Amino acid sequence: MALLQISEPGESTAPHQHRNSIGIDLGTTNSLVATVRSGEVVCLADEDGRSLLPSVVHFGATGTVVGSQALELQSSDPLNTISSIKRMMGRGREDVSQLGNVVPYEFVVSAGSKVPRIHTRSGDFSAVEISAEILKALHDRAVQSTGGDIDGVVITVPAYFDDAQRQATRDAATLTGLNLFRLLNEPTAAAVAYGLDQNADGLIAVYDLGGGTFDISILRLNQGVFEVLATGGDSSLGGDDMDHALGEWIIEQGNFGDINTGLARRILLAARNAKEVLTDTNSAEIVIEHEQQRWQGRIDRDQFEALIQPLLKKTLTACRRALRDAGISKHDIGEVVMVGGSTRVPLVQAMVGEFFTREPMCDLDPDQVVAMGAAIQADILAGNKPENDMLLLDVLPLSLGIETMGGLSEKIIQRNSSIPVTRAQEFTTFKDGQTAMSIHVVQGERELVSDCRSLAHFELRGFPPMNAGAARIRVTYQVDADGLMSVSAEELTSGVTADIIVKPSYGLTDVEIESMLRASMDHAREDIILRLLKEQQVEASRVIEAIDAALAQDGETLLSESEIAQIREHRDALEAVIDTASVEELKRLIKAIEDASEAYVARRMNASVKQALAGKQIDEVDV
Amino acid sequence: MQSPDFSQNYFELFGLDPVFELDSRRLQAEQQRLQATYHPDRYISADERDKRLSTQVASWVNQAYETLQDPVKRSRYLLEISGATIPDDSSTTSDAEFLMEQIELREEVETCRHSDDPLQRCEQIETRLEQRADQLAAEFVSHFEAGELDTAMSSSRKMQFIQRIQQQLSELQFELEDN
Repeated sequence: MALLQISEPGESTAPHQHRNSIGIDLGTTNSLVATVRSGEVVCLADEDGRSLLPSVVHFGATGTVVGSQALELQSSDPLNTISSIKRMMGRGREDVSQLGNVVPYEFVVSAGSKVPRIHTRSGDFSAVEISAEILKALHDRAVQSTGGDIDGVVITVPAYFDDAQRQATRDAATLTGLNLFRLLNEPTAAAVAYGLDQNADGLIAVYDLGGGTFDISILRLNQGVFEVLATGGDSSLGGDDMDHALGEWIIEQGNFGDINTGLARRILLAARNAKEVLTDTNSAEIVIEHEQQRWQGRIDRDQFEALIQPLLKKTLTACRRALRDAGISKHDIGEVVMVGGSTRVPLVQAMVGEFFTREPMCDLDPDQVVAMGAAIQADILAGNKPENDMLLLDVLPLSLGIETMGGLSEKIIQRNSSIPVTRAQEFTTFKDGQTAMSIHVVQGERELVSDCRSLAHFELRGFPPMNAGAARIRVTYQVDADGLMSVSAEELTSGVTADIIVKPSYGLTDVEIESMLRASMDHAREDIILRLLKEQQVEASRVIEAIDAALAQDGETLLSESEIAQIREHRDALEAVIDTASVEELKRLIKAIEDASEAYVARRMNASVKQALAGKQIDEVDV
Repeated sequence: MQSPDFSQNYFELFGLDPVFELDSRRLQAEQQRLQATYHPDRYISADERDKRLSTQVASWVNQAYETLQDPVKRSRYLLEISGATIPDDSSTTSDAEFLMEQIELREEVETCRHSDDPLQRCEQIETRLEQRADQLAAEFVSHFEAGELDTAMSSSRKMQFIQRIQQQLSELQFELEDN
């Protein structure tokens, strides 16, 4: 954390160096990492040339593996092999207990935590920690491939992700030690990969049919601003369902009698294989060999298409609904972007094309398109393309409200407001003599709080007792450019305040994150510790420089003598041990300076943002 | 990051004259220019202070843009910066004639779906509402320019009501088109 600004406005930084940046598509079934190299977007592959990393983590007796190796162990060790973890991100106990019917894992919620964890032989892990394992694997791949440190990353999230889910994704990045530039909506990333941001204004449909999920998003591009007008889909519909449909057909044809798990697996694999063959040819041969049984058959494309048509019709129903939510007709759509491996199936392209009455865009690899868009955005944010002034402006996906009397949600920030955004609203007390007010932050479009997602509860306490209706409590919601929010409340007649960064009700507490970070640090290699030490020393000297510069500039006007002496004392303590102290010690001393100069920083900020926002004062909230 | 002058009003921020009739293309171009300067994406690698400041400024710009872009909000804002007191939304109008008009318009929209050709009926109402909105905007401008802030306020509130009815009508239109 920077303490104080030391560079003069307009002063340019060091000459530009290329900075390594990556884009990550953290998917339900597969994840990818991409980067921009000499102006070309490339998805980074593993030693075997595969760019898709199955989003599966296996906790083995001898260590943790991620990706295809983990996937191979899924059937033999299901309880210690975690897949589809994205579905649990930012979710609480009730949500995952619903998932309990679908996944075999054993969930535990420990005392003092609201976060459900999955019990494995290596310990209990939250969705954030498991996602961090996947991010780590992708990061390692990127480091190997680019041959250097990664300066920053853009991670994509579904457009409909709420604050809790976005926060969980951000936490996973923090835990991995990644410098997260920005979270980016997946459909927006796909549109960027196709260069649609360069286009004239218009409406874009992004049709994303993955292995196990279907998403449709309607975007509006207006003067460089991508707005998500509507999203829809089916969280349990995807390419796997096509394999199942074909598998059932094979079973009908084959007369296999009793089907055990091994045979079922063979059949599904053969079905998937045939599906892929049928993408380029008109018929496919299917051979099933299992124990004593052997079956051989042939399926042509027409037969296959008849099998999957009902599934695809379901996706079009979801498209129709999304268009209705967006308040537009399908003829208004200017471009249709195809995402997800299952959109390779020719019938998918044909039906989507027919529905929207235009040729869908599918020139780019549909598995890679989201990661590619993320990489392009990361490259721009890293400052590698000073001539490119693309700016993606985003909107809030779901309204943010506050619980009012009667369990109703009063919207403070409407969905589709451009972000970042700050809104304040005043409330009053309900009872005579009331000295505290409970604030419940919710997200969602519905009227009833019980139909919205609960993000946080907090209390504003200790304002003087007044008659009902006399207190004036201003609640301020702020949403940053990632769509993450912070809240503050102030009783205006007394000036009593309370600030919180919204930690979603189901989120990890800072203490939890820190202890996880520490745990991951324990396992880190020595060079990482050395690097951390180096970084901390640099940070320490920067803090000392900043303090000196600030004190020289306005220390005497803004601080009393004793305040200056106190700050100096901490500063000198840090300087004395800068080359000898441990990382932890340096952190502690830096923190001590920051604490000692907290009031000073605030005064400096106030001095520079003096006439704060023309009467609409925004409280300083760390974001 | 150089902080903009937070004491400017929204019109000053966008470099526009403080009048009701504004050039929407210029407004949009200025919005883009301001966001291109202050959006947090431009301060990804800056220190915490600049990151925080850019979030504040970009929020402020967004709020200004939303206010100026919407005729009802723009009219209220003009009154606000001219020193008029803005009554809250719950206070009611005492203009009996306008009350009658409100009731009639509501009824018309509500009964629309039962008419012989609901979509055509919707279009008729739509045209009328547009004309009424233009008329009220003109009223607002003449009162505001004459410094009659109270009557201008009353026009602004009528504009707000017409806007709500327009939203109701467009929701009904989507619903009808859907079936």
